[in-house]
Amino acid sequence: MMLRQLTRRTILGAASLFALVPTLAFATPSSDEAKAFVNEFGGKLVAVLNSDTSLDRKREALLPLLRANVDVPGIARYCLGRYWRTATPEQQKLYLELFQDVLLNAVTARVGEYQNISVRLVDSVPSPAGQKVTLQISRPHQPSILMTAVIDGEPPKVVDLYGEGASMRLTQRSDYTTYLTRHGGQVQTLIDALKRQLGRP
Amino acid sequence: MACTGSTTQHHRGRSPALFTLIGCLTLLSLGGCGSLHAKPPTDPDDLADYKAVNDPYEPFNRKMFSLNMWVYHKALRPVGRFWKNYIPQPIRTSVATLNETWREPAVFFSDVGAGRPRRAGDAFMRFLLNMTTAGFYDVAQHLGYKQHETDPGMVLALWGVKSGPYIFLPGLGPTNFRDATGYAISQGLTPINYVPSGYGLISFNWGYNILGTFNTFADSTDQLDQLEHQSLDPYAFMRSAWQQQRQSQIDALRADHRATTPDWY
Repeated sequence: MMLRQLTRRTILGAASLFALVPTLAFATPSSDEAKAFVNEFGGKLVAVLNSDTSLDRKREALLPLLRANVDVPGIARYCLGRYWRTATPEQQKLYLELFQDVLLNAVTARVGEYQNISVRLVDSVPSPAGQKVTLQISRPHQPSILMTAVIDGEPPKVVDLYGEGASMRLTQRSDYTTYLTRHGGQVQTLIDALKRQLGRP
Repeated sequence: MACTGSTTQHHRGRSPALFTLIGCLTLLSLGGCGSLHAKPPTDPDDLADYKAVNDPYEPFNRKMFSLNMWVYHKALRPVGRFWKNYIPQPIRTSVATLNETWREPAVFFSDVGAGRPRRAGDAFMRFLLNMTTAGFYDVAQHLGYKQHETDPGMVLALWGVKSGPYIFLPGLGPTNFRDATGYAISQGLTPINYVPSGYGLISFNWGYNILGTFNTFADSTDQLDQLEHQSLDPYAFMRSAWQQQRQSQIDALRADHRATTPDWY
């Protein structure tokens, strides 16, 4: 009887695990899929950055590209850490909107620094957070930069960036959670601070 | 240099910074500095964060960070911006190379301590080749010996020495007890610090230190401005970035098992 129960449990457990396998396989892209995604997304980014249009036009062209290929809501939730659970649905919605604007502002503000660039794919290795794809960005008359993008999800999207060995989302999370800890742990204080950062009332 | 979020320990101040380091470490190690030490929180989530950031001296560190940023805005940033905007790039590159070259002996001994002969060979050849131009021109890079960083703090980490608490010191920037000790060792391994008086060498030493400081600040001003503009808590942002970068450097050194033959062989 005991053996039969154990066997049944084992079989059910194994079946559940096997049922999960395809989901897991789809959740994290393979090395080739991640490389293909980065090549395509990177190619579009470089085309915009290297174009002869004005900086404002470039920023306009970048926004839809970033929204489509970067998992902004996922990064935003990660950056709020444990405080995401304590936020009301309205605060979560407002925070997501503000975070998206902060992130896009931060990226597009530096558009002028990246002109006539070329991008070379250096490496791709799996990690618990997703497929890590390292890129070498070359700029004229300046030292080249190594940057690692973490690609995850279905369809694949950028979930994190590493520069000089530091995860950007982890650093941002440390910034936000420390700010919250030192300001009473109320998500509203962070929302107010993000509004001030964006120059909004 | 002082308030840079950059990863390396060696880019920081030199002799004056060493005295600051010794003074601050002594102060922190005294038991009677209760107000400098943050009490562990009782809330489990806050306690987990407290342990993760490894920053029990946060009240002291924040004071030092504020002091550093005050000095940065009042004096160092204007000098750094002037250096970056008005000194031609070839001169700035030469000053940077000079600083790197004179640090190579410390890098070499660190590589030996880490048991990385390929890296040690690269550092040795870099010093030898670049000193043909007194360290002003990076001849070695063109011959396949690229610049890399290894310091005694990284070696201590490889030997299993724990980092100890995070500290932020004026003139030194972000560090921890292990890496601050490593910094003091690297000063002992840097030949420029043994320059005798006379023969104009003291002037060279001062020039080396001051210009090196300008150069490092000039390179850091953009990063620091961005840090202040884009983070809600610049202290926490820098602490997290520095801790990750430092760990990444140590991991890279640990994983470096390249053959001893150089790339061109």
